[in-house]
Amino acid sequence: MSASPILQANELTVRFGHLVAVRDVSFNAQQGAITAVIGPNGAGKSTLFNLISGAIRPNAGQVMFQGREVTGLSPHQMLGQGLARSFQITNLFFELPVRENLRLAAQFLEQGRGLFRPVSASQIACKRVDELIEQFQLGPVADEMAGFLSHGEQRRLEIAVALAGRPRLLLLDEPTQGMSHSDTHRTEALIRSLVGPSLSVLLVEHDVDLVMNLSDHVVVMHQGQKLAEGPPQVVRANPAVQAAYFGESPHD
Amino acid sequence: MHEVTSRSLGHPARALHWLAGLFFGLALVFAIVAWTVGDVFFFRLGTEALIFAGLALSVDLLLGRTGLLPLGQALFFGMGAYVSALVLKNWSSSFWIAIAVALVFSAITGLIGGLIAIRSKGVYFALISFGLAQVVSKIIFNTRELGASDGMIGVPVAQIAPGLESGQPAGFFLVVLSILFILYAGLAYLMETPFGRQLGAVRTNEQRLSFLGVDPWRTKLAAFVGAACIAGVSGALYPMLRGFVSPELMFFQVSGNAVINVIVGGTGTLIGPLYGSALLTVLRSVVGSYTAHHQIVIGILFILVVIVLPRGLIGLAAPALQERLGRREGAVRTPILHADHPQ
Repeated sequence: MSASPILQANELTVRFGHLVAVRDVSFNAQQGAITAVIGPNGAGKSTLFNLISGAIRPNAGQVMFQGREVTGLSPHQMLGQGLARSFQITNLFFELPVRENLRLAAQFLEQGRGLFRPVSASQIACKRVDELIEQFQLGPVADEMAGFLSHGEQRRLEIAVALAGRPRLLLLDEPTQGMSHSDTHRTEALIRSLVGPSLSVLLVEHDVDLVMNLSDHVVVMHQGQKLAEGPPQVVRANPAVQAAYFGESPHD
Repeated sequence: MHEVTSRSLGHPARALHWLAGLFFGLALVFAIVAWTVGDVFFFRLGTEALIFAGLALSVDLLLGRTGLLPLGQALFFGMGAYVSALVLKNWSSSFWIAIAVALVFSAITGLIGGLIAIRSKGVYFALISFGLAQVVSKIIFNTRELGASDGMIGVPVAQIAPGLESGQPAGFFLVVLSILFILYAGLAYLMETPFGRQLGAVRTNEQRLSFLGVDPWRTKLAAFVGAACIAGVSGALYPMLRGFVSPELMFFQVSGNAVINVIVGGTGTLIGPLYGSALLTVLRSVVGSYTAHHQIVIGILFILVVIVLPRGLIGLAAPALQERLGRREGAVRTPILHADHPQ
């Protein structure tokens, strides 16, 4: 894990009125690694996540991605920089088939070409869709409306849609939220298999077991501030973390 | 192998194509009958219905496909009508020049209007669009050079081709029908391109689309300008038919009727608004010849349709037809979903 950081968050602060949701948080996500942000509810991890993905702007601080500042870019500019995100609450085009959900996302690879030609002319996008269907084992439901899928399938599709534009960093917001045990393990293996030299992952989770198994680096948030960071074992052993997090809500 | 590319999404595609063929076929039958009996009144009325169908088409592009409710689309319709009238009166009697200039003006005003209106969503967009039309219509209402409240009369006939001009009832009907067909076919094609699909995605989940690298604002602006152009071209045909323009063309009555035509016909189906416009334009005229209160009849009909057929006439007919077509060819029935209804 000695590669250069793909993402650097520097002294980020977000205020909502008088409430400071994120206070002065800095951390790095390493290239080719899985970095996790954990914390109890209300710790500010979702805010931090929205901030990095462009959904909200920080009041102070900056986000550097691959050495370039991306602070305050609009969501649609983020994918152009190589950042993509998934959502905690499944956020798909529910009335469209799985395939079309993926194609809408993969269309990004065409870089604006073929916008006014029949959909089938966008061959790069169509090829990418086939790849993702294969990779995420969505073949049997490829022509179903996304709204008709099981929860587990929807969560997989959610990740596949985020990946369609070939981002360099994938931001996953509680990827296993509401999943059964077996689905969680499957997703865990899937995320592990995605990470490599060309893709890093930053995830937000409150499932501690998942994070500890999966992550290379863990950032612990508490009451809007960074409480600790480091490799999973080190973080787990940290007394402050134990008190603030593990003490409060043991392995849910 | 199933392909998403070969299927219209969310609508029973084949049924809609079939209904489109039926619409234009019926229009041709109407033309033959009217020509045979040497009728002028119904030709004029039919042409007017087609012109307002063009306006309704532009409303459906925004309302049914992009999820924006335009309450002032008559702005662009009236703009096209005034520009066309001015060109024909002062500059050239060429049909094509009048259309081309109206198109350019519609695109420019559409861009300006879009930059103002697209910032807002939902009811705010609707009200800004309404307000823009109010402002421009009042300006024209008070501009002596444009005929003020009287509008402009005596617009000369437009020369379309050697031996064909807008004063010929049958000839002009067919020209307007051809233009409507081009507008409809163009839009139907566009909806099956990545751009058209993005419009639908803006309607259903704008936020998610933005995280897929698409700027929803630009997509909506493009739709708005496109709709302005369609409305403007339709409006440009109006003075060629009636020989006059008036500020009423931009009033809420016209915008509101267009929205009603769309909803009665079937929001988001593109062909539904053409049926809705044809039906209601004729109904307004026929009922209007018996009573001055024809808006009451239209109003009641509108309420009934919204309650009984929330998907409009075509929204009712298309799925049943699709099933029949599918059964005949052994195809699988595709579930359909519809455009959100404006509240």
